[in-house]
Amino acid sequence: MLQLRASSLADTHAIAAAVASLARAGDTILLAGGMGAGKTAFAQGFGRALGVDEPITSPTFTLVHSYDLPATQRRARTLHHADLYRLDRTSEVAELALSELAEFGGIVLIEWGDVVEGAFGDHLTVLLEPELVEGDDGDDGGDDGDDGDDDDSRVIADGHRRIALAGVGQSWAARWDRLEWSLEAFQ
Amino acid sequence: MLILGIETATERVSVALGGHEGVIGLFEVTKGRRHAETLVPAIDFVCSQAGIELDEISLVAVDVGPGLFTGMRVGLASAKAFAQALRIPMIGISSLDLLAFPCRHTDRVVVPVIDARRSEVFYAMYRQVPGGVQQVAEPTVGPVEDLIADLMARSQDVLLVGDGALRYRDEILDDFHCEIGGDAHPSAGPLVLLAHARALREDWVNPWEIEPIYLRGPDAKINWSTRTARA
Repeated sequence: MLQLRASSLADTHAIAAAVASLARAGDTILLAGGMGAGKTAFAQGFGRALGVDEPITSPTFTLVHSYDLPATQRRARTLHHADLYRLDRTSEVAELALSELAEFGGIVLIEWGDVVEGAFGDHLTVLLEPELVEGDDGDDGGDDGDDGDDDDSRVIADGHRRIALAGVGQSWAARWDRLEWSLEAFQ
Repeated sequence: MLILGIETATERVSVALGGHEGVIGLFEVTKGRRHAETLVPAIDFVCSQAGIELDEISLVAVDVGPGLFTGMRVGLASAKAFAQALRIPMIGISSLDLLAFPCRHTDRVVVPVIDARRSEVFYAMYRQVPGGVQQVAEPTVGPVEDLIADLMARSQDVLLVGDGALRYRDEILDDFHCEIGGDAHPSAGPLVLLAHARALREDWVNPWEIEPIYLRGPDAKINWSTRTARA
């Protein structure tokens, strides 16, 4: 388990890019966290890092968006971005056949994938949570995003979030040291 | 009667034309798994090479699985679209039937086994009858160990076919003596032949009545309460 802290959208994108740089065909990555936690933001940073230049939008209503990766990107052919939010039954998840998409040269990002975690084999779970930061009163100085115009209490500040990475299975265990090392700045 | 057969339930994309004269055209590719990109050009190619216009086709046959969800989705959607547009009926045939049928000349029990991923296989059992094969054990999905246990329980002389049998060849042969052979993937050739036999009995349906056989594990309601409430 890797606990990270992002203090801006750019940080979230940078963390996603670091994960993307270690991802390869066959990977399934579950994006967990409530509404507005930053799951789609993570997917955008991830896709951008793999060379997707079309806009990456939430697949909530279309279930799966697939992006062909540039031929120069040799680690995978396609990035699939799925969202289980609208689904009610495990059979509906099965019908999306997300593991088949991964199996054939794909990397699959699944928003809300943690609700059916058992349905996937080896995977990485990315849990995103908005972080409460102190208002104007002097805090411990960890945050430098100057958005504290609320002076009474802790607020959910734009872009501040905690991101926890957890790998399941051998394929992520083998990459864990490199992942930790590349994300040192955010720990 | 001219039948268009569409087969996409495994990695293979296979298209055939045929009828009274047997199979008159067949195109298939078993590498790359680009069902969506390959299927419609393949149909166009087979028709043009056989000198057949689409409006000469009187029935669409399709493999309804079990198999790859992604492949079946492309095959069923395309087959239904052709049938609806041409206003012709359809016949759906199971991938396991299609694997067993070409082995109809053996007196052994034929067990088609299709890779269901994640260490599971789809399988059923067939025996020879005049003119074809008859199912003797219902299609099922389960771990390879279940298949081996089933085979051992029957202790009959069996012939295993299909990509699942090939993938788990060593595990199966370790525990059970049998032959593994035949084609690894279903083909649209046998599909057209089997569909023709059924078409002669007018045993066909409307396009909207064709359903895939996913044959997957138990269905359950997703427990959303384990997560932060959805809106």
